[in-house]
Amino acid sequence: MTLSIWDNVLYMPGDVIAAWILMLLIGPILLLWLFKTKKWPIVWEYMRTTNHRKIGTMNVLFGFLFFLRGGVDALLMRTQLAVPENNFWLFQGDKYNEVFSTHGTMMIFFAAMPLLIGLMNIVVPLQIGAGDLAFPFLNAVSFWMFLAGGMLFNMAFFLDSSPNAGWTAYTPLSTDTYTQTEGNDYYIFALQVSGLGTTLTAVNMIVTILRHRAPGMKLNRMPLFPWATLVTSFLILVAFPVLTIALSLLMFDRLFDTSFFSGEAGNPVYWQHLFWIFGHPEVYILALPAFGIFSDVISTFSRKKVFGYTAMVLSLCLIGFLGFMVWAHHMFTVGLGPMANTFFAITTMMIAIPTGIKVFNWLFTMRNGVVRFTVPMLFALAFIPTFVMGGVTGVMLSVAAADMQFHDTHFVVAHFHYTIIGSTILGIFAGIYYWYPKITGRLLDRRLGLWHLGLFITGFHLTFFIMHITGLNGMPRRTYTYQWGENLFVFNFISTIGAFLMGVGMAVFVWNIIRTWRSGNHAEADPWQGRTLEWSVPSPSPEHPFTQMPVIDQRDAFWYAKQEKRRLLIQKQPRPSPIAVKTIQPLCIGLILLLLSLAMIYQWWILAVLSSVLVLAMFLLRTWRDERIKTIREEVTDE
Amino acid sequence: MRKTWIVLLLLLNGCQIRTLNPHSQVAGDQAMLIYLSFAIMIVVMAVVFILLFRFAWKYKQTAKNKDDVPEEINSNKRLEITWTLFPVLLLAILAIPTVMITYQVSPKTTNEADSTAAGEGAIHIQVTAERFDWTFTYENGRQSDQLVLPVNEQAVLHLQSEDVIHSFWVPELGGKQDVIPGKEILFKVTPDKTGTFLGKCAEFCGVNHALMTFDTNVLHNQAYQTWLQGK
Repeated sequence: MTLSIWDNVLYMPGDVIAAWILMLLIGPILLLWLFKTKKWPIVWEYMRTTNHRKIGTMNVLFGFLFFLRGGVDALLMRTQLAVPENNFWLFQGDKYNEVFSTHGTMMIFFAAMPLLIGLMNIVVPLQIGAGDLAFPFLNAVSFWMFLAGGMLFNMAFFLDSSPNAGWTAYTPLSTDTYTQTEGNDYYIFALQVSGLGTTLTAVNMIVTILRHRAPGMKLNRMPLFPWATLVTSFLILVAFPVLTIALSLLMFDRLFDTSFFSGEAGNPVYWQHLFWIFGHPEVYILALPAFGIFSDVISTFSRKKVFGYTAMVLSLCLIGFLGFMVWAHHMFTVGLGPMANTFFAITTMMIAIPTGIKVFNWLFTMRNGVVRFTVPMLFALAFIPTFVMGGVTGVMLSVAAADMQFHDTHFVVAHFHYTIIGSTILGIFAGIYYWYPKITGRLLDRRLGLWHLGLFITGFHLTFFIMHITGLNGMPRRTYTYQWGENLFVFNFISTIGAFLMGVGMAVFVWNIIRTWRSGNHAEADPWQGRTLEWSVPSPSPEHPFTQMPVIDQRDAFWYAKQEKRRLLIQKQPRPSPIAVKTIQPLCIGLILLLLSLAMIYQWWILAVLSSVLVLAMFLLRTWRDERIKTIREEVTDE
Repeated sequence: MRKTWIVLLLLLNGCQIRTLNPHSQVAGDQAMLIYLSFAIMIVVMAVVFILLFRFAWKYKQTAKNKDDVPEEINSNKRLEITWTLFPVLLLAILAIPTVMITYQVSPKTTNEADSTAAGEGAIHIQVTAERFDWTFTYENGRQSDQLVLPVNEQAVLHLQSEDVIHSFWVPELGGKQDVIPGKEILFKVTPDKTGTFLGKCAEFCGVNHALMTFDTNVLHNQAYQTWLQGK
């Protein structure tokens, strides 16, 4: 649609205008509701909090919002692909490219990552008996950085400059020679800012898990979700800086006319190496925490401790380690030569072994147990076959010669949705249903939960199973159309129906949350007969959960104490826990980084310099303040 | 979900899946690998599915065992060794043909391989990818927007890109091969059946990536010669 504002003629696509109108409707309603129900103190509280549960809740909340946004993108794509030679609305050509680029980036970086990090934030300290994360202030900074990145990425759409080079942003397509608009600059800065936040979270998690465990909780007594978090954090710590470097180089290519990825001196394949050295560990960064969640869920609802604990931990580490040695399996068709192709084929196959060990350990955890079909457990039971199907197609893809047929087709699309939705998204749902009492103090409705699961899983398999076939039948990914004669119509049509079923499933989930919030069951401290320490504190978890620090004498100590009808021993003098502060600084840092990114994208250099100085000043200001000094002084005078 | 796999098998028989309907040696090898890996993976899936359904069914909570506290089992050496070694065995069966065929089909750039060694008397065709078209230049200088190949003769395609990364893909003839700017990559193919196939660009290259297609004609030798001389 072309608008003429004063003397300027402005072109805006219909979908962007629709989104603007929707926002202009929802925004005031939300504000009005906040005024009416007097929620401002709560909003102000959350803006300044450094508490792990509150930050985690915000992570989950915004991650879920972005998840819905990415889901709408998916539905738009599936509608365009429903029939051959379709012309749905304006989702052809560049618009379609923007939609799938946004969908991928949104789902990986702004939905899956914050949802997992949110759950880690909420649960890990409670499971290991820590008062909070080791660095509460840093935790808040991480969150606001993620949100700044997410907002920046969404802003791109509202200004009609969404990135359009795919979530992988392969060079030279993503350099300014071939994509001149600001879209890919938004991509660079949104990922850069939120990626920095993720890296800081990893540091925080590692220190928390290594330094703040309850007395007696040795590493080999730790539940598997904190273990998965620990391994994941190390993966983040190694992989994300590679992304930072790659994005910086791309930024220089785009903004300052260097030629790292094009021209005589550069090479476009360098980008692929850098991106996948980050990108493949990223896949495990998404999968491992979900594995941890499922280990806890399956163990709890089988009323047994997890089978082969040592093997579970070792295979987590092994998957993490091997994850760094397989990146070139994304590049079998680049022509790296026979040696590289076979090497990466073999290392990729090797990952199947620790993954298989985990699957069998989950199965044998259920054996001889008492399996309760609660909603989180049913998500776990849906996860096993779904993920195994994604795993076996993964092995098929590792066969380098055959991968040349699979590569960049819908077969690959099917594969990674089977693995990522199968593990990460189902894991997040299982985790949300399982830990909802600890977050909000209420239990989600079981009947609606079953509808959510049933619709989502049925829709999922309809959508993505079909894609194995369309891929083998010659349908490349990232294409917005196909021809009538290609024998692809029926398959794609079924796929689209499946996608909408998933959408209905999500609507049920949203309804479940709203209903639970308005009139839900209040949960007791231990509604699932849990085994780990988070169930020993009230629901929702208080700001200072472990005022009486329990002593851990074995794995799942809380469960065995309950069995023997005794209470866990209490440590008289626990390690001082991190000190909560109320501060608006993290939010300000996020805002300034947003401003800095915008200045860089539109090349307003003065603003860029000013905001960089300002953000540096903010960090320096923080460096010279230490809230512990005051608290310790108070404690000393108390004595 | 097992039902869906049966449906898949039926569909595979019922209609022609292009990658599984090979018209060249390379595509044939690749189809064989697809079938082989699929068969091995069916074994894995069957084992997991059977165990899952059995355990979930047999040990589900009932009124009777509602309050039971099951006996704790830490681990079981025999079982754990089994499910470590069993996949190793299956993967080894898969790895051997993978390595062999991958060595054969992985293309080389011209810098490494001298084009003369790429088969005496082979037909050389320059393939130029440029957003969003393919141009095929034959040895006698003829240019065309479709790829025409004689049956049972080796053709060496010299893949080059004028701008971004593209990917050359004709499912029936095997592949695919990325086309990278600033680099010439050789892709060898010997079609063994005549026919007309749709070729596509398989690496996302921009606005009209979806429309970057070309026709491939595999002709009998005589028809090929006639075509080559024609205008």
